[in-house]
Parts: sequence; structure tokens; C-alpha cells
Amino acid sequence: MKPRMADGQENKRTLKDIITTQSSILVGILFLMIVIFLLFRANAFGLADWFATSGALIAFFRQLMRFSGWPLVLIAIPLIGAFLEMAFGQKRVIKRDRVVILLTFLTIVVVFLMYPAASSEGLVLKLPGIMGLGLGFRVDMLGYTVLFISVVVWFLVMVYAHEYMKLEKHCTRFFFFMALTFSAVLGTIMAGDLLTMFLFFEIMTFTSFMLVVHGQSDESYRAGHNYLIMGLIGGFLILAAMLLLYFFVGDLEFASAITKLGELGNLRYWIMALLVLGFGIKAGMAPVHFWLPRAHPVAPTPASALLSGVMIKVGAFGILRVATSYFFPDKTMITDYLDPLWLTTQTIGTAIIWFGIVTMAMGVFLALQQSHMKRMLAYHSVSQMGYIIMGVGIALYLGYRGAMGYAGALYHIINHALFKTLLFMVAGVVYYHTKEYDMYKLGGLWKKLPLTATVCLIACLGISGIPLFNGFISKSILHHGIIEAFEYGHPSFRLAEILFMIVSIGTACSFIKFFYYVFIRRTDNPYPRLKREYTTLDAAMAMLGLFIIFVGVAPRFLLGNFIIPALNQTAYDPYFIDHYIVSLRFFTWEDLGNAGIVVSGGFALFFLGTRFHWFHLKLPKWLSLEYVFFYPGYVFMKQMCRLMYGDKCPIDQEEMRTLSVDDENVSFTDRFTVALKVFNRRYERSIIQSDALIYTGLITALLLYMFVFGRF
Amino acid sequence: MIDQLPIINMIMFLVLALAIPFLRKVSFRLTLILGFVVLGLVTVSSVFILTDVMASGPILYRLGGHERLIGIELEVDLIAALISLFILGLALVIYIYSTGDATEGIEEREYARYYILFFILMFSLFGMVYANDLFNNYVFMEIMSITTCSIISIKRKKDTYTSAFRYVMLNEIGSLSFLFGVALLYMATGFTNITLLQQALSTLWPAYSANVIIALGFMLVGLGIKAAIFPFHIWLPDAHASAPSTSSAILSGIVIKIYLFVMIKVLFKVFGLRILDDLNISAALIAIGSLGMIFGSLFAIAQKDIKRLLGYSSIAQVGYIVLGIGLFSELGLAASVFHIFSHGMMKSALFLSVGIVVFQTKRRKIADFAGLGQQLPLSMGVFGIAALAMIGLPLTSGFISKLTLGVAALDHNQGYLIVIVILSSLLGVIYYLPILVSAFLKRIPEDAARPHLEKVPRPMIAAIVILALAIIVFGVFPNWILDIIEQAVATLGLPA
Amino acid sequence: MKIIESIMENINYVGAIALFLIGLHTVVTHRNLIKRVLGVNIMGTGVLLFFTSIGNVAGGEPPIFIPGSVPGIFVNPLPSVFILTGIVVVVSITVYSLSLVVRIHEAYGTIDQQEITEMIKEEEYHD
Repeated sequence: MKPRMADGQENKRTLKDIITTQSSILVGILFLMIVIFLLFRANAFGLADWFATSGALIAFFRQLMRFSGWPLVLIAIPLIGAFLEMAFGQKRVIKRDRVVILLTFLTIVVVFLMYPAASSEGLVLKLPGIMGLGLGFRVDMLGYTVLFISVVVWFLVMVYAHEYMKLEKHCTRFFFFMALTFSAVLGTIMAGDLLTMFLFFEIMTFTSFMLVVHGQSDESYRAGHNYLIMGLIGGFLILAAMLLLYFFVGDLEFASAITKLGELGNLRYWIMALLVLGFGIKAGMAPVHFWLPRAHPVAPTPASALLSGVMIKVGAFGILRVATSYFFPDKTMITDYLDPLWLTTQTIGTAIIWFGIVTMAMGVFLALQQSHMKRMLAYHSVSQMGYIIMGVGIALYLGYRGAMGYAGALYHIINHALFKTLLFMVAGVVYYHTKEYDMYKLGGLWKKLPLTATVCLIACLGISGIPLFNGFISKSILHHGIIEAFEYGHPSFRLAEILFMIVSIGTACSFIKFFYYVFIRRTDNPYPRLKREYTTLDAAMAMLGLFIIFVGVAPRFLLGNFIIPALNQTAYDPYFIDHYIVSLRFFTWEDLGNAGIVVSGGFALFFLGTRFHWFHLKLPKWLSLEYVFFYPGYVFMKQMCRLMYGDKCPIDQEEMRTLSVDDENVSFTDRFTVALKVFNRRYERSIIQSDALIYTGLITALLLYMFVFGRF
Repeated sequence: MIDQLPIINMIMFLVLALAIPFLRKVSFRLTLILGFVVLGLVTVSSVFILTDVMASGPILYRLGGHERLIGIELEVDLIAALISLFILGLALVIYIYSTGDATEGIEEREYARYYILFFILMFSLFGMVYANDLFNNYVFMEIMSITTCSIISIKRKKDTYTSAFRYVMLNEIGSLSFLFGVALLYMATGFTNITLLQQALSTLWPAYSANVIIALGFMLVGLGIKAAIFPFHIWLPDAHASAPSTSSAILSGIVIKIYLFVMIKVLFKVFGLRILDDLNISAALIAIGSLGMIFGSLFAIAQKDIKRLLGYSSIAQVGYIVLGIGLFSELGLAASVFHIFSHGMMKSALFLSVGIVVFQTKRRKIADFAGLGQQLPLSMGVFGIAALAMIGLPLTSGFISKLTLGVAALDHNQGYLIVIVILSSLLGVIYYLPILVSAFLKRIPEDAARPHLEKVPRPMIAAIVILALAIIVFGVFPNWILDIIEQAVATLGLPA
Repeated sequence: MKIIESIMENINYVGAIALFLIGLHTVVTHRNLIKRVLGVNIMGTGVLLFFTSIGNVAGGEPPIFIPGSVPGIFVNPLPSVFILTGIVVVVSITVYSLSLVVRIHEAYGTIDQQEITEMIKEEEYHD
């Protein structure tokens, strides 16, 4: 593949228009489809009745919707797309991008078709024998909800990417791996057992790695290396949990295994810890989040939007999935919240809640100090994942009455996908026009980019939890959840609730700052060369902005059509769902008051922070992660070197220099490798030379061992 | 007729090996074709043997019709039939590859010698798999020592001499240890036939405990040297690094595995579970296997030369197999046998694809791999698939090995072994991934002028592609082979 | 006294094991490649002696069947057959390794293992 700039300038003009209009039409159709879906669900004009009863052609459609192979079709579409894109390649850019957008749109259509099956009993497909244990797919409402939001967001990002990727090289490779990643994400979400999930999860790790390192700069290699190693560690943890589950439960299908797990004693907590940590790495959970703020910013914007918008959700979805299947009683097993079966779930839930809270707080604290837009957004992703993880924790902790936490987590997965994708897109558009990521160097862009400024405002309001925007809804539900946690459960969750509010204030402050510095602040740099015109960037962003408002204004759409059916498929108290969730009222004075506190707190923090330069605080160097870990290692290696080499110590020579603590570009694995090389250079030959000596020693040892420990 | 197929197989290899010097005068091409025909014929007969063994139990054949006590006996049970098919499969692929290249660094007039050695090696491999007699095993072992050493040192370069010398010395010490063990057993029982030995040992064990213990120790260590089990691996990296790629593939993919198979035979068919349990061998094997898994990988991380790295990685993988054997259960042994197969394929794929890289670019330092994936997409692609399989990613056979081994470890109440398996995989990530990343993503260094790429002969490409496909097929549909393996392992009388 | 007696009775075995150990000692301690080959050779001799000793029967006759004679107590012939094979094998291995030593001497100009290792190390370092 020759590095190659996007097509020539004059070409670009004419080419752009075709796809811009076409994809805008598709975006419009998507909106129409959602409206029609709404009408169907509301049975307006008797649509649903007509569909259920009418003639041959529609009957065919009804049959089609019962087709159990949809998961495979869905996974196959992007796969085929990937190879089509490769075939069109760099030469026929228009055709390639058209394939990208059309096929992604096709997945949305398929996902719509899957709704009836998913919402009734769930779509189940089994492929026995593959990979030994057989693969399985299951699309129930939990999976369907995440699936739905993923394909919608993915489609919009692809529309966006068409224009944005003109900045980048190697676009075909990018779209190829994008499509493969899409396929893997769909597979992970639709997985019906842990093996299938693990399979697609690993594929996702690898293909998305290619997206992270797309820039091929040294920085992206380092970030990608971190990402890949952490992803693989996560995969191995899941593998370990899978082995334990398979051995002790005998089946990997996502179904209740609580009775069998209950007999395992503490091992069941180990299994869950492995799973939570394994998926948590991908989800950016607190102690293992550090790869995320490095990896997300270096990827091209469409990729970082999807990494933050969809892929980390897959991690959270994984936790929710395994927790509410293996570690949850079956619907038929339970009638009461006092049932002892809930004990395991509760213990796990407590731990997960605190993981979530720590993630939340840490993310927002670090985000406030960032100046790089995308890195700030990435830290917010960490923080928002904390909300979701906390929700998952509540869903488990409260057991039979945990529906609120479940609903909140699921709702926040959707909402975060919407606004974080949009925010990354905004950062991308700003970069597209100004080639600048540092928000302290930007300013006054609202005049030049009014539409971007508007959607950015919408997204900021969404993520800060302002009423009439989507974040308010899910945060209210989560807030209800945490309050229930300390009302029904342990009083220490009062502290959690307070932290929750503080984090919300921090979030609000951070986005006030973001919006102010990028769009409002007066600056002497007027960007004279910035030209404004309608591109696919705008279409995608506008659509996401509309969704955010739509969800904020009509919260019942998602709740009624996706989340409550998902709750009903889980072993939660039906009475609780009917009385608290179905009739949940959002715009109560209490919730509005909380939002008010958050906003005013945010403004106050912002003014104080800019006045006293709180946002530029840096931790002292000796406290940084690198220093704490690497300095002892460095000292140790230095001493070992003296011992091994004496005077001819290579400590200051080429290899050992990379070990020095100051070089923060050298990752842990690199240091490890170099350290091993130092040992190896000294000892390998000596070991090889003492071949017969080793033989003598070993045979003596073996004989002694047998004579001493043998029974004869 | 089917009874005689095993000996016919061996004779075919031997006759061909002896005929090559005469054939060479006629046409070298004819030799190649004939070799292919012989390998094909043996494959067909081995398939017959396998189906027959599956249907009606082990095949016994006595050379010259002598009785067991003094005669040479061949026994083909299900495991032996499976292993012989595995040898043939890999040998065929390596043979196809070598017809393209006749292996780098070998002078043209040595080609014929290379094939002579190859077929004698095949003969001795089959001898070791079939022989039901420890002394015969020793003889075949020695034939194999000489042929493998020659295959390593066939390249006329000075580092091959030292590594071959080390190999031959250690191998000889190993063989003598094995022979010493055989002598001790013979002293106690008066038999070398495996079947008779087993019967005798089960009754004589308490009376001749010292003999049996010393014999077991010497035989294990002897086989350990040959199979490159961790502390005895010393000869392996040098030998792999200096040998031609095909030889490395044979060595790592087949030869080591056959010694492990002989070890299985010695442990379970000669000594039997009772003696082994009394002597706590299980714990020792598990410890040795785990150490190998970790230390092999650690040494591999520190290497600069790609072939040495692959050599050390083999040591780590042998650790997996030893671990599986050490569990002393049907599941563990099945995992080991499966890993013998899957590692054979993966490591051959790695060595052969590296062979193509070396053939084309004349470079073998890991640091020189930057950007190679763009220049040689196919061979580096196969390398990538095999490397990912070594790490144990799903859809590859390596994953199935890890899965079965993990379940076997749990089944044996040794859950902590999962930690070691996973740690070893992680170390694998540390040494394989940087190679892949730099090969596929790093730009070709500007200062290094693009090396002149030789044209790759088709058979070489075909061979590595077959291996890559096999890795994936074994990873996606492992059940058919696992079923046969489990059936085979069940004949050894281990606890389920 | 009893110890000495039992040693005298089993002098073959003691000798065999002593040979084995002497050989091993040579291999472990000597850096000269030819001496190492000889060491292995001595080990081999030890093992082979051990094998023959097993077959020996005190006062036995050679196991040769002469028509017309009455077969008395005779030495077990099987170990002898084994060691015949063994001798051939050990000889061929010795020849092979000695030829390698010749090659090594041609290539490195020395047959001292330490020096060769130093050379290899030097080469590796400069690679």
C-alpha cells in the first residue's frame, strides 16, 4: 500500500457532493424509520394490527422476522463489506465509501427486523461443535438495546468518517479494520455464551488495535501497544474465568448458574472478580483504565468516537451480561428479595458499586486537568463508565429490587454512546478545520462553526445532566438507584451518593470549560482560512444532536420499548418494575433541584478554577505512576548489573539507557524485555556451556527426589 | 495384509533412502517425485492402519516370527497410528516446502544427501513410534540422533558445527542414560519387550525398587534431553538457529514430539501408574513443565535472532506438553497429545515462514523485521496466524490446546496451573506481538535500502498456506480429532 | 569384610558404574572437545559393560550350540546381542563427533570449548 494523500483537490469537490447528498438522505431515512417504529409501537393508524393480520407479502415479512439466522447475517454484512472495501481500495474511493455507508445502514435495517423476535422470547441460534464447545447467539432485549444503539451510532460515525478521513492516509485500511471491528462488536453483543463472547471480544481487541495505531506515529504505537497488551490481559482473565465456569458449571451459556456457583465457596467471587476485571479493562474501569486516555485520543476521530462511544460499552455490557446471567437466579427460582440466592449477587454488587464510584471520581478529577480536547473527553469516558459500572453494581446489590440500577446502567449506556460520540465528533471537526487539539489555544469558534457549536452545546448539556437533554434522564435513574441502595441496603452508600453529586458537578464544570474555551472565548486568532460548507460531518452531528434532545424530551421511548422489556426478561420483581419504573416521573422538583445544584456547582467550580489555576495543577513527578513502578526496578537492575558484569557494566550503555526512569516513552514491556536481555547476554552462553553439569545435577536431584519422597 | 503394513511403511522409507544415491545419477527430479510418491503411499497405508486399529484394536507384528522374548515386535495401537499420521502430515508439508527451496544454505550437491537423511529420519521416526521394545527404541533413537545432527550440520557454516557437536554430545549422553535404564530394567525382569516388561514390573516393583527407581530416573532424564524439556533444553536454541529452516521445522515440529511420545510410552506402558504414583512423578513433571513454560518464554523474550526465539518458544511449549502428561489423567494426556499436534503445526508454520523471509531477504534479526509485512504479506501473514495461535487466540488450534489443558488442570485439582498457563501466554504476547506490529505497521526504515527480494518458488508458499489453514481448521473444528485422541488415550488405562 | 565381599561379587557392576562416572566427569570438567568425545565414549563403555554383566552366569559356557553336545549352563546371549548393536552405535557416534571436531578446528582454529564460546559471544555481541 503506497501512502497516498486523499484525492486531488479538484477531484474532491465533485466527488464529495454525491456522497454528501446520498448519505444525508440515508440519515433522513434513518430518522423516518425510527418514527415509523414509534408509530408501530404506539399502534398509530392501526399499523401494528394491519401488520399482524394482513396478506401474503406482509406474511412473508412476518416469517422473515422469525428467521433465527439473523445474528449470522448481521455479523456477515460488515465482514463482506470489509472485503468489498478492500477490493475497491484506494482507487475507487467513492464506491468504497458508498459500500461502507450502505452496508452499515443495512445492519440498521436488519436490527429493526430483529425487534419482534428479541422482544418476545429472544432470538436463539446455536452452532454446535465449533471451537470444541460450540458457539451460540442470543439476542434478548438487553443485547438488543446495546445492539440497536451500536448500529445507529456506528452508521452515523461512518457517515462522518467519509468526510473526516480525507485528512488521513491509508483510508482503505482504516475502513477495512473498522468493518471488521464492527463485525466483532456485533458478535460480542449478540453472543449467547461466554465462549462466543470471548471469541468476538478478542477479535475486537485486535482489529480495534489497528484503528488505534492508524496514525503510525510513535505516540500511537505506544498507546496501541498499551491498548493491545491490556486488552489481551483482559482476554486472558476472561479465559481463566471461562475455564473455571466451564469446569464447575459445565455450560457456558448465559443462564443462571447461581445454585452451582453457590456450592463453590469463595471461588465464585474469584470467578466474578476475573470477569469484572477482564471486561473492566475494556470498559476503562478505575485501576485498569490507564490505557484508555492514551489510546482514544491518538486514533483518528471516527475511531476514537467509536472506541469511546461503543467499544468501551461492550466491556460494561459484558459485566452486566455475565453478572445478570451466571450470578443471577432464574426468573422461575425466585419470588422474594429475601431469598438466600441473592447473597452472592449482593456481595458482588457492593464491590462493583465502589469500583464504579472510584472510576467516576478518578476520571472526572483527571479530566479537569487536561488541555488536549480528546484526552479530556477520554477521561470523561472513564468517568461516565464509572456511572454505568455503578449502575451495574446497584442492579446486583439490590437483588430482586435492583431494577432501577439495571435500567440506569442500560439507559446510560445508550446516552453516553450518543453524547460522547457527538463530543468526539465535535473535537474532530474542530481539528479538521483548525488542526489544533489544545483547547487553551482555541477560541471563538462559534461564529465560524455555528452548527458545530450548537450540537456541542447540546452534547455538553446532555453529559452534564441538564433537564430536557438525555443525560438528565439516565443520571436521575442512577441517582434514584444509589438512593435506593442506601435506603434498602447499607448506609455507607450515602457517601456514594455524595460522591455521585460531586462528580456530576465536576462533569458540568469540565464541559462549561470545554465549551467556553473552544467556542466562546474571545481570541485574536480568527482562523481566516476556515471555510464553512455543508458536509457529511454536519449531517451526522446534527442527527446525534436531535437524538439527544429527543431522548431528553421523550424519555419514555427508550424506557418503554427497550429497557422495560429488558427488565422483564430478567429476574427482577415485576411488582417493583410496574410500580417504580413504568410510572417513573422524571421532571420532579427533586430531580430538577439536583440538576440545579449540579449546574450552579459547575459554574462556581469553573470560576474558582480559572481564577486560582486549579486546572493546571500537576501531580509531582515522583508520584507519577511511571516513577513509582519503574524507579525501584531501575535501582534493582543497576545493582544486578554491577553484580553480573563488574566493571564492564552496560548500565549506561545503549540498552540500559532505555531503562532509565526519566524516559516515560518506554513501556513496561519494553523495560522488561531490556532487563531480560541484560541477564541473557551475561548468562545464556554460560548456561549453554555447562550442559553436562546440568545433566549431572538434574539426574542426581531426580534420583534423590524419588528415593526421598517415594513410597516403596 | 494389514498386519504387514507397518513394516512395509518402514521398509519403503529405508529402500528409498538407500536408492537415492543411485537415482541421483539418473535425475534429481525423479528422486523428488519418487519421494513424494513414497510419502503418499505411506500416508494411504497409515490411514488404512488407523481405520483398522480403530475398528479392531492394536496391530501386532513380529519380525521373522520370533517369539516376544527375543524377537522384534511392532505394535501399532491407536495413539501410535495417530502420531504416525501426524508425522506424515507434517513431513509431507515440509517435503513440499523443501522441494521449492531444498533449504537455504545447503550447497547444490548436498541436496541428495539431505533427502537421504530425511528419509532415514522418517524410517527411524516410524521405528520409534511402532517399536514395542525398549532396546529397539534405543537403536532407532541413535539412528535418529545421527540423522538429525547431520541435518543440522548439513549447512557448511561454522556455527552449525559447534551446535551440532553440542547436540550430538548431549544426545549421546541422553541415549546412554536411556540405555542404562533399559539395562537396569532388563536386570530386574529379563525383558525388553514393553508388554512383558509391564507385566513383570507390576509384580516385581517392590522387590527391585532401587533398580526401577534408577531406571526411571535415567530414562526420564535421557528422554528429557532429547525432547528439550526445560533444564535440558540447552542444545536446542543453537541447533535451531543454525540449521536450515526445514531442519528446524522437522526438529521442533516432529523430532521433539516423538521423544515426548516415547516418554508417554515409557511412563504409562512400561512403568504403569502404580509405580509412578508411588514415586510422586506427577508432581515432578508438573514442576518441570511449569518451569519450562515460564523460563522458556523468558529466554525467548531476550533473543535478537528470530530462529533462536522460536527455539526458546518451543521449549516453553514442550513445557505445556510435559505439564499435560504430568497430570496423569486422560484429560491431561489428551490435552498433551492435542498440543503435540497443534504445536507441531504452529511451530512448523513459524519456522517455514521465517525460512521464506530468510530466503528472500537474507535477514533474520528481529530488528530487521520492520515493514516486512508489507513486502512479504503472505509469509508474514502465515507467521502472524501461527504466532497468534501460539499466544492462544480463539479460532486457532493453540486456543483449543489451552482450553483442554486448563480443564485438565482443574480436573486434577491443580487450578493454580491455570495461572501458569496464562502467565506463559502473556509472556508469549510480549515476544510475538512486537514482531507482528513492527512487521505490519512500522515503516520500512529509510536508510536500509530495500533488499533485493528473491522470487519464492510456489511449493514453499503452498506449504505454509496449508499449515495456516490446518491451524485454523483445528481451531474451529477440533472435535473430530479430539474424539479420536480421547479414544486413543483411553487405552492407556489412566484415570478418567 | 562383607562389604568387600559383596563388592568383589559384583565387581562388574561396580566397574561399569565407575566407568560411567569417570566418563561423565570427563565430559563435565574438560574443555577440550576431543576429551569430551572420549568421555562420552567411556560412559558408553560403562553402560555396555553393565549390560554384558547382566547376562553373565558364573561358570557358564558360551552360548554356542554344537551338534551332539549336551547343553549345560550357558551365558545369556541376548545382552551380548544388545551390546554388539550398542558398540556399533557408539562407534558411529564417536566417528561422527570426531569429524565434527575436525570441522570445528578448521573453522575456529581451536578445540578448546571455552575459547570457542568466547568467540561466539564476541560475534553475537557485534551482530
